[in-house]
Amino acid sequence: MNDSTASSFAASSGRDTEPPVGTAPVPMWLMVLPILLFFGGALYFDWTAAWFNPVVHAPFTSLKQIESLQPSTGGDRLLIRGKVVYEQVCALCHGVDGAGKPGQAPTFVGSEWVLTDNVGQLIRIPLQGLAGPITVKGQEWNLAMPAMGAALPDEDLAAVLTYMRNAWGNQAPPVTTEQVTATRNATKGRTQPWSAVELKAVQ
Amino acid sequence: MKHAGMLFLTGFVALSASWAGFILVPQLQIGRASLGMVTGGSDLYPQPRPGLAAQGAQVYRANGCYHCHSRQVRQEGAAMDVILASAGTNQAQVLSAFKLLDLSLADNPLVGLPRDLLVDVDKSRADFAQKTLEDAGAKAMIRIRATGSDIKRGWGQRGSVARDYLQDQPILLGWQRLGPDLANIGVRQPDPVWHLKHLYAPDKVVERSSMPPYRFLFEKRKIRQTPSPDALVLEGDLAPEPGFEIVPTGEAKALVAYLLSLKTDVPLFEAPFSAPAPAAVPVASATNATPVP
Repeated sequence: MNDSTASSFAASSGRDTEPPVGTAPVPMWLMVLPILLFFGGALYFDWTAAWFNPVVHAPFTSLKQIESLQPSTGGDRLLIRGKVVYEQVCALCHGVDGAGKPGQAPTFVGSEWVLTDNVGQLIRIPLQGLAGPITVKGQEWNLAMPAMGAALPDEDLAAVLTYMRNAWGNQAPPVTTEQVTATRNATKGRTQPWSAVELKAVQ
Repeated sequence: MKHAGMLFLTGFVALSASWAGFILVPQLQIGRASLGMVTGGSDLYPQPRPGLAAQGAQVYRANGCYHCHSRQVRQEGAAMDVILASAGTNQAQVLSAFKLLDLSLADNPLVGLPRDLLVDVDKSRADFAQKTLEDAGAKAMIRIRATGSDIKRGWGQRGSVARDYLQDQPILLGWQRLGPDLANIGVRQPDPVWHLKHLYAPDKVVERSSMPPYRFLFEKRKIRQTPSPDALVLEGDLAPEPGFEIVPTGEAKALVAYLLSLKTDVPLFEAPFSAPAPAAVPVASATNATPVP
């Protein structure tokens, strides 16, 4: 750029220094517009984004909506949970099909100990274990079962017992979490496994 | 320069806001996602790919299959249907349940079971209908199904969710649909021979296919003592001259194993649907054209 163009530029702009920043009032609409945009965005977020919930994907907009579309009812969910726990904890000895294993564990299928109305007896077996002679469906067993259920949460223990009472053709009312909690409290402090005679005496 | 600090701060805020929106928040949201339980079962999902399929993912990536095929089924909504499975023994009772539900009694409603009783109703109506019918001794089921144009095309039974991609690194989501979506191709087309032939000569398997042939994944070789059991059965001008055969290379076999491992056919908590679908799944079309209803 040569001298003449530089001076003509300075002349055309009217001054030879950088213009200072002045202050001018911000128009009202420019202050209101971002507030409205933010408000609209917040509303849209609240309606459709489920607050960053990782399991809510489009087209669903809330956890409640997804829950309402789950196929299983509460009872089914207990059975599903029970099946998972059963296969992790019990199935090694009693078999995935609940049929038991000779010399290792008696059957659950049609067992009077599983289908009993006195669920307190049933809950005590996994809580503290069972040792000594016991008759299951007319067959004598003399084994020792460790307290496999002692470490399970009450919900899981209720779920697995409910599953055992309703799988493989068994049919009996569910075992509730409250019943398990009550039995656990009632037998607090006991470390010895139960015997069949003792269980029979439980009311 | 005046206001350099202000300028820097503005730029910093603008860039970090988009970084937070695109990277930080998604990472916090699904960055630690873990395997999930299949609804109604005890299986974990997704299962890791078997070795050959894991190799196939690299072939898929190397050949740029994701340039023309997406792996993401979009879902636009969900609907609930009530299906009457059997009427039970007390038909008069069931018919009075029909009346209670404001259902039409015309043309013999208890014939031709199972049939759809209510289509696209909300949760409370479906539950009420099921309970009313079961109280009357009938057997009613609720079907939950995903809806949307991709589902209508037969590309999947549900929309894709984040958990579907847990076994993928990198995630080959794709961004164009010059060909059909492949999220559920392992269920839609489970025949490995079909896939091999399709890779060799797409237009011979799918009419008017715009997919280029991938013949470099195959090998033409002289038949020695016995023909290879893997050799493609080709007719017409594609058939090699007598004494030769076309056999897939390890890459082609791996790619097909990968394609067969692409399955989104199980319901998840975040993607509910009734499985197995009692109704007929629409047959997937080979093109992207919107199906005629």
